[in-house]
Order: sequence, then C-alpha cells, then structure tokens
Amino acid sequence: MKEQSLGEFEELVLLMVAALHDEAYGVAILEGLEEKLTKKMNISAIHVALKRMEDKGYVKSRFGGITAERGGRRKKFYVITALGKRLLDQQYALRVSIYQQIPKISFG
Amino acid sequence: MRPLPPRNALRFLHWFCRDDYIEEIEGNLVELYEKQYEQSPAKARRLFTWNVLRHFRPEYIRSFTQHYPHNLTAMFRHNFLLTFRNFQRYKGSFFINLIGLSTGLACTILIYLWVMDELRMDKFHENDAQLYQVMENEHYEIITTTTETDGILADALINEIPEVEYATTATPIWWFEKFTLSIGEKNIKAIGRYAGKDYFNIFSYNLIQGDEDQVLSDKNTIVISEELAIRLFNTTLDVVGKPIEFQHEQQFLISGIFRGTPPNSTDQFDFVLPFKIFQERNPQFADWGHSGPATYVVLKQGANIDHLNNKITEFAKPKHEGYSNTTLFLKPYSENYLYGKYENGVQAGGRIEYVKLFSIIAIFILIIACINFMNLSTAKASRRLKEVGIKKVMGANRKSLIFQYLGESMMMAFLSLITALTLALLLLPQFNEITGKQLQLNLDMNLILSVLGIILFTGLMAGSYPAMYLSVFNPAKLLKGGSSFVKVNNAVEEVWARQGLVIFQFMLSVILIVSVIVVYQQIEFVQSKNIGYDKDNIILFDMEGKVGENIEPFLSALKNIPGIVNASSCNSRMIGSYGSITGLDWEGKNSDNNISFENIEVNYGLIETLGIEMVSGRSFSRNFSSDVDNIILNEAAIKLMGFQDPVDKVIQLWGKDTRIIGVTKNFHIQSLHEEVQPLVIRLVPDFTDYVFAKIEIGKEKETIEQLLQFYQAYNPGFVLDYRFLDLNYQALYVAEQRVSTLSKYFAGIAILISCLGLFGLASFTAEKRLKEIGIRKVLGSGNFGIVYLLSSDFTKIVLIAICIALPISYFLAGKWLESFAFSIEMKWWFFAGAGLLALVIAWLSVGFQTLKAARVNPVQCLKDE
Repeated sequence: MKEQSLGEFEELVLLMVAALHDEAYGVAILEGLEEKLTKKMNISAIHVALKRMEDKGYVKSRFGGITAERGGRRKKFYVITALGKRLLDQQYALRVSIYQQIPKISFG
Repeated sequence: MRPLPPRNALRFLHWFCRDDYIEEIEGNLVELYEKQYEQSPAKARRLFTWNVLRHFRPEYIRSFTQHYPHNLTAMFRHNFLLTFRNFQRYKGSFFINLIGLSTGLACTILIYLWVMDELRMDKFHENDAQLYQVMENEHYEIITTTTETDGILADALINEIPEVEYATTATPIWWFEKFTLSIGEKNIKAIGRYAGKDYFNIFSYNLIQGDEDQVLSDKNTIVISEELAIRLFNTTLDVVGKPIEFQHEQQFLISGIFRGTPPNSTDQFDFVLPFKIFQERNPQFADWGHSGPATYVVLKQGANIDHLNNKITEFAKPKHEGYSNTTLFLKPYSENYLYGKYENGVQAGGRIEYVKLFSIIAIFILIIACINFMNLSTAKASRRLKEVGIKKVMGANRKSLIFQYLGESMMMAFLSLITALTLALLLLPQFNEITGKQLQLNLDMNLILSVLGIILFTGLMAGSYPAMYLSVFNPAKLLKGGSSFVKVNNAVEEVWARQGLVIFQFMLSVILIVSVIVVYQQIEFVQSKNIGYDKDNIILFDMEGKVGENIEPFLSALKNIPGIVNASSCNSRMIGSYGSITGLDWEGKNSDNNISFENIEVNYGLIETLGIEMVSGRSFSRNFSSDVDNIILNEAAIKLMGFQDPVDKVIQLWGKDTRIIGVTKNFHIQSLHEEVQPLVIRLVPDFTDYVFAKIEIGKEKETIEQLLQFYQAYNPGFVLDYRFLDLNYQALYVAEQRVSTLSKYFAGIAILISCLGLFGLASFTAEKRLKEIGIRKVLGSGNFGIVYLLSSDFTKIVLIAICIALPISYFLAGKWLESFAFSIEMKWWFFAGAGLLALVIAWLSVGFQTLKAARVNPVQCLKDE
C-alpha cells in the first residue's frame, strides 16, 4: 500500500475538493484556489495533483452529463473519500496541536 | 458559435494524451479557453497552447506499444524471430541456400569488377573522345590490318590535315627489351619508348614536372616516371635538368617527370625519349617506305570522323611507290584494347570476346544460384503448412502471411549478399593474381544498384511462391494435413517447374564442363605443339654496350663458357612479327602484287642454335664468303612463289639479285592464332639485336651463374637481363591461360551450386517420401531398392540436361576453336566425359541423402499418425 502522504499543494487541492463538495471539477478547483490564494495557477498542476490523489484513494471521481459547453466534453467531478477526509483531519489536528505549543510570547 | 481552440494544439493533445484522461483535460482546457476568449482571443489561444504543452508529461502520455499491439515493429520483430528460428531449425537448407547464393553472387561481383575494368581500359586519357590511332590496311590477297605506320606520318598528318590538332609517333613498347639507365655507378633496367614531341599533350600521363609542349622538343631530353625517379635518385625533387646515361652511350637531360602509367593503361613504360633520336639512329624511319611505329592523333573539337576517314584513306599512296596497296584509317585509341583483331580488313572482335564470354558466365552462374535459391525455398515451404494453418486460425490475414514469407526470403537474400561481399573481398587478391589486374572493390552506384536489384528480385521470386500460394489455403485443410496437402503440394505443374529448373542448371553446368575441357586441351596443345624449332633451354637477351658494338668476339667468348651449346644473334625475339618487307621479285610473280614477307635478320649459326629444320639446301655458313647476299626462305614462301626446286634459284630483293640457298620447314614466330606467314631470312649480322644461347640440358643453373659472371666482366655497367624463350612463348598465350584458369574456377563454382541445389532437393524429397520408404521397407524392400527408387528420378533429370547441353556445347566450343588457325579436333570423350562427370556428381550429391533415407528404421517414420 502506498505511503499516506500529502504534499502542500495536494492538500490545498484536496481541501478545495472537499469545500466544493460534489461540484469540484478541474476549472472550478482552479478558480476557487486562484481566488483564495490570489495568484495565477496552471490547470496542469491541478490535474496532476488530482490524478495522484485519486491513485492514492483520497478522492474519487465521476463524469457529469454532456453539455454544449466545453466542446461537448463531460466534466469530471471529484469527491473526497473517507480516507481523504481522515487525512485532512489528521493534518488539521497535527497543525493545531503544534500551533498550540507556541509559547504565548508577544511578537509585537 | 463558440470559439474553436487552436487546431494544432488540440491535435497534439489528442495524439499524446491517454484515452482515460483526454476527456477531462480537454474539457477543462476548452472551458478555460472559452472563458478567456471573451477577454482576449489572442491570449486565450496562447494560453490554450501553453496549457496543452504543460500537460505533455509522463502521467498523461499514452503508452504506444501497449495501445497498438498489431503495429509494424512488433510484427516485424515477431517475423524476424520466426525467421531466425527457422534458420536454426533447418540448418542444412539454410547453409545450402546461403552458400549457393553467396558464392554465385561473389562470382558475379568479381566478374563484374573485371568486366568494368576491361571496359575502362585506356579510357582515362582526357582527350579520349578525340584520340585516335592511325591504322594501316594492306590490300593483297587478303587485307592485313596493322598499327604499323611510317615514322614521319605524324608530321605529315599535322601539316596536311587541318582537323588534326596533335599527332605523334611512338615506338611500340614491345619493340625493346628493358634499357639500361645509369646515374654514376647505379645501373637500372627500365622500359622505355620513343615518342614525338606532343606525346604528353595527347596522352594524359600527367606530367608533375615539366611542360607538355617542351619536354620532348629537344633531342637530348628524357622524361621519366615518378617511380623511376625515385629508383634512380630516391627523390623527385630537383631531378629535372640532371643527366642520365642511356645504355652507357649517350647522356640525356631529364626534362620532366610524369605520374607513371596507371594500371588501366595498355602501354606500361618508365621513360620516354624523343622520337628524333630514334630516327637518327634508324634513318629509315625518317623517310617514307618503312613502316613500324605507331601514330596517334588528337582531332580538333567538332571534327567529323567519317569525313576525315574518307580523306585519310589514300593519304599514304602518293608518299611512296611501295604504298600503292596501302590505305589508312583512324580508330578510337581506347577501342584498340578490346577490339584489336581484324580479319581481312574487318573488325573481328578481340578481347571483347572474353569480356562477353565472362559476362555470359557471370549471368549463368547468377541464374543458377538464383534458381537454386527459389527452388529450395519453394520446396521447403510445404514443411510449414501447419504453421500457416495455425497462424490463420489465430487470425492472421493473408497480407501478414505474405509479408512474413517475403520478409524471410528477403532476409536470407540480404544475408547472402553480405556473405558474398565478404567473400569477394577475401578472394580479390587471388583473383587479381589470376587475371593480372589490380582490381578493387569500389562500391560504385552501378554495382550497388544492380546487386540490390538482383537481391530484391531473387528474394521476391523465392518468397512469392510460399507467400502467395500457401496463404490462400483453407486452414482446416492445412491443419488436417496428411495426404490432402501432399496432393496439393505435388501439383503436376509445380513438379515440372522444379524439375525444369534443375534441368536448366545442369545444362549450364555441363556446358561449362565441356568448355573447360576444350579450353584446357587447346592450351595444352598450343603449349606442346612442335612450333618448328626447339624453344627449350634457350635463353635470349638484348645486346647492350660492348656486346652491341661488336658481336663476333662476344659470341665466340660466350660459346667458350662450359654448358653453352651454341650461340648466335638475331634481330627478332622469335616471338611475334618483327616487321615485314616488300620488294621481293621473282620469275612468274604477278607484277602488281606487292606481297609482304615476314623478315628475320640473323647471324651465322642462328638456325643451328634454334634447331630450325632445313627442308633443302643449307644454312648460312662462314665457308661461303658471299652469304650476305643470299637468303633462306620458309616453305610457306616457296609455296607462295610456286618454285619446284627453289635451291640456287635467283630472285630479286629490292632490285638486287639474291640467291636462295636453303628452305626451312615452316616454324611459328607468331601465336597459333595465325597461320605461318611467308618468311625471308637474311644474313645481316650487324643488324641483329638479340643474343640467343642454347644451354646444355641439366646444367642450366651453373651455366647461367657462369654466364652472369662472364657478362659482368665483359660488359661492365650493364646487368644481364635474360629470359627463357619457352617462357616468352608461353606469354603469347597469357590471355588463353587466364581464360582457362578462370573458366576452371567458374565451372567449379557453377557445378558446386548446382549440386547444392540437387542435394537440397534430394533431401527434401527423401523427407517427404519418408512414410512411403517406411512402408516399402516393412513390405521387404532392401536399401538398394530404395536408393534406386529415389535416385532414378534425379538421374532422369540430369540425363535430360546432358542431352540438351551437349549439342549446345559442341557448337560453342567449335566457335571458340575457330579463332585458332591451329586447333585441336573435338573428340567424343570431351562430351562423354563432361556428361559422365555431371552424372557422377549428381549421384554423389543425391546418393548421400538417399542412402540416409534408405537406412531409416521404418518404425521411426511410421509410428506417428
């Protein structure tokens, strides 16, 4: 079984997939991230991250219906899996616990 | 309408992207594109392309091999593997095929090289297209064509015929033995010729030092080859202007150095002297009426050769009263090598006949080899019926089967080509030795194209039978196998075709065997024929220095050496014509008949030294003081004159009374291609050039050693360059010797290839009839019966081939022998022997296989099925 790991960018994409819940597909994720991070990103990076996470089992995908948009191509929607959610929770808990260890010193 | 994304980028994406990702990626990209397009179409396009490129990464690139399991490379690899396994499985047929085709090809390549070299002979001169040799026709009972012309013809031509740009006279190379050139104490023997001043303008012997117009204009100049310069001076620098002593009698100044004579030049020589000096020494060549040297001309650009030939025909007639029957014509110089023979004034072949002969042999050998290849491939194909069946069942279509079989035979053909080239390369040194050439395997375009063509043709022909024929069968029928396919495979036409091919092969082999026997016999005959004098144990050398000044004391000293039986001198080497004379008049001669006689000028004792037999009268003798005015004729001359009792008859030579004192038997001074010509022998001791000495049999070695010592003491500064007369005589037949050796080899190869074919076929038949043999043996047939059964088929085929071949070979051999004035009779055993040989060889090659088949244990071959 593959080692359970999550890169920083992958984590962001996974968060966005979870946030968009059931409406997460390439362009939506891209736009959501660009909005949050306020910087330009490349779609290919998101594709790569999605593919890797799907291989690892953090997300699963399904195809939507055909529309006139997108050159007649179906959207591929991603949903976070239980494993993905657990990983996100672990990451979140890890960060919070370390964060709380920061002594209350003034950074003024 | 929605905006369309850039086409090329999209196509690229479709080309590389995995099928399971293309939809998502393309969809997202197009969506982004459409959004961007509203703001800036140009930017949208750029971005789209950029995004496509960004996706060009391992994750998304499809696996090409995985996705196209039926593509060309995989199939090719598969076929290649099968071919290789097939070769391994049937090593016998593989090697037979390989050896057969590659030896055939190697032979053909070698012959091709030889033929090309022959055709290129003498063609390297820059003036080749304009370079002509003046030929002379003498019209008597028959027309005699020679290259002998007058020494001053060249000057006359250039003065009187405006179309002539350059003309030169040159002495033939074979006129002289090697000359002695000296620098100080160093003496070197070298071949030379005398030539007119424009010699180097006419021939491209490439002067590397000196000026073409000047090098031969002074009469005391000499032009030497680069190689000779190095032999003399060890360098070619600062050589020009240095003196060379010629024959220890005269100094010549080096005026130029030429590159040397290339191997494809007929004339091979080391130095050139001005013709003027030759004329000074031989004043007869400074006027009309004495022919001998060769004349070459270069015509001006645009000169019409037919027109000029008309003009030149009568050119010589007014010059001298002796030329009333002489006409001239021009012939391209480079043609003289291949088309040198004239019969009664008409061009009658020459070396071109050998070129043709060998080309035909090459084609024959190639055909035999190709036939063999095809024959074996087709025979072999039936072994693979099951394979074809299985393949068809597995879904192979006809096209892929054809592709496989053609590919297989192509590969075989290419393997043979590589082997053939290696073979040719390895054999080239030996081949060069036999042919006396310096050939190299230069892969020129012609050779490559023709060899590739042959290979492709052979491969296609050999492969097409199994490819086209087997691939149509119904797989069920093929797989059921057994009797049904044997019937299919033994279709009558096919058996006939295969047997026809074998017949053709053996026919060619038999023809070649007969030719070898005939050529060999004729050469043998020529070598051993009594030519009218005793050529054994006679050495000859040319007179130089002190010997030439006064021959008598030298000859008497020479005779004193123990082991020297007799010695004399003569103006001829007794090999080849040495110039003819006209001007003989006798009682009853048809006055306008200016017949020419071969002319030999001898010293006392030459006839005795050479052992020339006298029919009547006596030979020259010192006991008769007036012998200088007497002549001896040969039988041919007497017959021509029609004298009954010739001795003591008086005839006129050049208007002077001369007495016939003796008649010799006819003896040959020319090759046996020629009849013995009428001959006049005159006693002119001062004009003799060559010393002949007869050595006691069995004492050759010590006598020659003593002779060398004696010569060095007697004639310091000169090196004795002696030759045996019989070796010189053999050299007359060098061309025939080569043909004989080569045809022996080629016939051997043709037979070898045919036998390989037969061997392969026999093994195949034996294999196919294994069951039959098994049953026969079970029913009580003996080994001999089986051998007889299997060999009788092949015997029949070979017999048919022999029957067809013998009349053809009889005709061809007869044609060849016609070119000799003296030739052997064709005997019955030439043909019977050749036929028998072919039959025995065929039996041997079949016998091994049949014996093996006959000794098989019937249980082994009947147990399955």
